[in-house]
Formats: sequence, structure tokens, C-alpha cells
Amino acid sequence: MTRALIAEDEPILAATLARTLQTLWPDLDIVATAPNGLVAVEQALALRPDVLFLDIRMPGQTGLEVAEELAERWEGPAPFPHIVFVTAFDDYAVQAFEHAAFDYVLKPVSSARLGKTVERLRASLETRTALAPDALGQLLGQLQALAPRAAPSERLTTIRAAVGNAVRMIPVPDVVYFQAIDKYVNVVTADAEALIRVPLKELLPQLDSAQFRQVSRSTVVNMGCVTSAVRDDMGKVLLTLRGRPEKPRVSPVYAHLFRQM
Amino acid sequence: MASISPPVHQQRRARLRRVLTDLPLSIGISVLLACFISLVTGRFLENMLVSVLIGIVAFTIVYGGRLLFIKRPVWRKREWAMFAALAVLAAPVAHFTGLYTAGLLLGIRTPTLAEYPSADRISMIVFTFLGTTLMVVLIRNRERMRRAQEEQAAAHLRAQIIERQALQAQLRLLQAQIEPHMLFNTLANLQGLIALDPVRASDMLDQLIQYLRATLSVSRSETTTLEQEFAAMGAYLGLMGVRMGERLRYRLDLPPTLRTARLPTMLLQPLVENAIVHGVEPKVDGGEITISAQIDGDSVAIEVRDTGLGLDHAHARHGGGIGMTTSRERLAALYGERATLTLNPAQPQGTLARLTLPLEFDR
Repeated sequence: MTRALIAEDEPILAATLARTLQTLWPDLDIVATAPNGLVAVEQALALRPDVLFLDIRMPGQTGLEVAEELAERWEGPAPFPHIVFVTAFDDYAVQAFEHAAFDYVLKPVSSARLGKTVERLRASLETRTALAPDALGQLLGQLQALAPRAAPSERLTTIRAAVGNAVRMIPVPDVVYFQAIDKYVNVVTADAEALIRVPLKELLPQLDSAQFRQVSRSTVVNMGCVTSAVRDDMGKVLLTLRGRPEKPRVSPVYAHLFRQM
Repeated sequence: MASISPPVHQQRRARLRRVLTDLPLSIGISVLLACFISLVTGRFLENMLVSVLIGIVAFTIVYGGRLLFIKRPVWRKREWAMFAALAVLAAPVAHFTGLYTAGLLLGIRTPTLAEYPSADRISMIVFTFLGTTLMVVLIRNRERMRRAQEEQAAAHLRAQIIERQALQAQLRLLQAQIEPHMLFNTLANLQGLIALDPVRASDMLDQLIQYLRATLSVSRSETTTLEQEFAAMGAYLGLMGVRMGERLRYRLDLPPTLRTARLPTMLLQPLVENAIVHGVEPKVDGGEITISAQIDGDSVAIEVRDTGLGLDHAHARHGGGIGMTTSRERLAALYGERATLTLNPAQPQGTLARLTLPLEFDR
């Protein structure tokens, strides 16, 4: 029996989606309904469903962030779940889904449209063609590319970081990597570190996307400082950086950035 | 405006232009006085030349003194006293110099300095003094009119700028009326409720109609009453309440005396929508929204308080920042400094938006 998880913050929509799925797919077992992104991640990791229906705009974490975090934390024998995004109106997301291997459903959900999704899911689950985290990574890459980015003129050129009573000015090109720590970001250069009180999510759009790439949920590296990417015994990819001893781990979602040409 | 003065050479050129326009005026006065004297004594041409020469000398002294000593554009007692001193000084000097020069030109004998203190001469000096005074008063008047015209032009320009800003604000307002995401999500809920609970679905449809009517009719009316606006916000929060379930609690508090108070359309709605979209909706546990109005002196104060995420978390998505800017521009265009819109952290959490407007009632 196929097991599914629904993540949707609006109770009526969650109940309606569950009901419609039940009619279209009687032997689908809806194991949980998560009211927000944070609960969705924990329940998905605990229950290991085969299919996830993720609302995009949710409190706590968006559906996209849920997918990203799951791709990073998913381990063990259960294959990575099929993900269907559910969204009311998100122009850029819709564009991305049009071109991606993943499915999406628009709210209000039409029964006929959801029927097609169910068919596709069943066929895919029968042949067990699990969708690799790679494909998810490419989808997320596309979404990030479509999301509004700062124009070159609005790009951050200098990081102003408080160190004691002084404010240190760190030229952005000198940064080797950014590391998110709770609400803070640790700015790491070849010879120093400084904490700034800006979430990584807000910092990212202000950086040059060609130079600074996200390699995991919490790490953004300067691609110019990466000297090698090594796959260890566990299959994890670790980066070696010029001027820094740390070896940041690459999330499977972003491993495609470091594949040979 | 006062802090920025044009470059020195431009100031000089403007001064020269003023001298060139004022000089003919003083010559005109001289001609007029000459005509008057000629009526009494005859000898028209002689009088004309003498009068014009006296006029030019008096003009030069008074005008030069003025450019040198009187800097302020508005004349008070001190400036008028300085001018009077100049005119008293100018009258005998101008009279003597003018008469002497005319004598040289016409080849006739003119009185020497020693012959000056006679009743005849002194009366002519007084006459010159009066002429000089007339000249200055006329020039002053002309300047005052010119300045009034300039001020009027500047005020006109300012009004045009404000009008244009208000139009732009109106345009942005129309564009931002209904967010598609909100509309589709509401329709999705409605679709779900029709199957789950038809009675509630019908109630929800009523609220959607009321909300859409209030929001879409904005382009047709400029102002609304607090009662109408609170009803529209009640409908909006009702819709959001169905959608968000237990995560949203809300309260509306409008004193009966304020029901007919007028306010511009679409001022309250963006504040309430911000409280939902940036405050309560993205918060995992949800929160409470309170909308209230009270009289504050001769103003009405409207407050939208939420216990949501607060200003630290508000990132400018879906035009939250633009909405506030639009509202502030509209308030400035409509009321100037008599209206305010502030956004502050609420205690113990969330955001407090406060709007104050001059109190006006529906007639």
C-alpha cells in the first residue's frame, strides 16, 4: 500500500485534498497531515512516506525548503519520496514546474488534474523509478534562478560586521564561505571570521550567483576558493577550500555542481 | 529652498536686470514731475531735462545705497529708516547735480552752492525728496508683486507635484487591490467547504462577496465611513478565519460615535492585510488581530495590532513596503501634516500600526 503525507497549513484545504485523493486513489494511505513546514520535515523523516504533497507557502518553512531539507537529511533504505507541490498562485514556481520532472497541482485543485497526477504517481511507483535527489537539486536550482535576484548594482560589495566596538569592513570577494548559525551568519575569510545578524536566506539574493553557490542548507561557498571536491567512504561529498582547513559537506541536492565535466 | 542660493554671477545678472527694468520707471516719474512743474512755470523742455537728470542721480544714489546696505528682501522699520536717510541725503545732492549738469548742457547759469539756502530751492529739494520717495515706493510695490507671482508659481508647481504623486499612488493602489494568491486560496477553501459543510460554504461566499465589493468599488469612491471599512475588514478577517482555522483570532472594536466618521478608501485594508500576511499567517502558532478606533483630540486614531512575527521578520515580499509608502503618500497629499501613519513593535510581540486622521463626519 502506498503511503502519503500532506503538508498544508489551511485545515479545509488539507481535508479537501485528503478527501479527493481518497476517491481517486482508494488504496492510498494518508499517514499524516502536517500543519506547517517544520512538522512536515519531522513527520516525513519519522514515517518515511512514498509520496509528499507539499503546499508551497506555509508557516515555519516553505514547501521548497521542506523538500531541500529532506533531500539533505534523507538516509537509509527507503527511497526518496515523490514530491507533488501544491500552490495557489506562484508565477515563478509554476514556470519552473513546467520544465521540471516533478509534478505540481494548482489550487483550487481540479479533480481531473489531480487524477492525472495520481496516474503518473502510480505508474512511477510501480516501476520504482525513484526520483534522484539530483533531479530535485536541479529543480531547486531552477527555482532559485527564477526567484528575484538583486541587480548587479544592488549587489553587496562589502560586509559590515561588528567586532566588539568596531565595525569591520570585509570585501565580499575575500569571503571564502558563509555559514548559517541559527539567525546569524558566520562570514569566513582566509584569515578571519565574523558573525553578522542577517539570515542566510536574506544574504543569498544579494550575492553574485555565479561566484557564490549554496552547497547545503547552511553553507554558501565562494566557487573561486574551491580547490577540490572529494567523495568519502559514506558517499558524502566534501570540499577543500583555498586558505581554510574546514571541509564543508555538500548536500546531495547540490552534488551536481561538483560532478566532472 | 532658502538654503540653496544661485551662483554669484547669476545673482549679479539678476540684479543688473532689475536695475534696467527699474530705471525706466524712475525716468517715467521724472517726466511726470516735469510735466507738473511745467504746468506751473512753463519752459517744458528745460524742466524735462533737469527733472530726468535729477531723477537719474537720485535713482543711482538710492538704488546703489540699497544694493550696498539693504540685503533683506522684506523691509521692516530698520530698512525703511535706512531708505529714508538715503532719500534725505539724495534729494539735495541729486537736485544740485542734476541742475548743474543741465546748466552745462544747455549753457545757462545755474545757482551756486552759496545761493542754495533759499525758500525756492528748499521747496524744490523737498519736491525731489517726494519724487524719490514715490519712485522707491513704486519699485518696492513692483518687487512685492513680482515676488508674489514667483511664490504663486512655486506653489502651483508644488501642487502639481503632489497631485502627480497622488495619481501614482492611486495607480499603485489599484494594481495592488487583490492579491491573486489570496483569491485563489480563498476559492480553494470555498470549493472544499461546499463538499464538507455547505452552510459554512454559503456564509463564506457571503463574506467573499462583501470583501470583493468593498475592495473593487475603491476606484469609484474617494472616501468611505469607518462603519463600512470595519465591515469590509470583518469580512476579510472572516475569510481568513475560515482559511486559517484556530491559528487566527480577531476582534474589531468600533465605538458607535465613530460609525459615520469619514476616511479615504483603501487605507485600513493594507494595514490589516500586512498584519495577516507578514504577521500572523507566517507564524507557526498564528496569533490575534485587533482593529480599533478612538477619538484623539480633533483626530481619529485607528489601530491595527497583531501578535504575529513582528517587524524583525517582515521581509518586503508581495509589496508590503510599497503598500506603506503608497498609504503615506496618499495621506500627505490629502492631509499634509495633519495625518500620520506609524508602524511599531507591539508588546509583548507583533506589530502595532497606528493611523491618525483629522476627524470628519459623514453629512
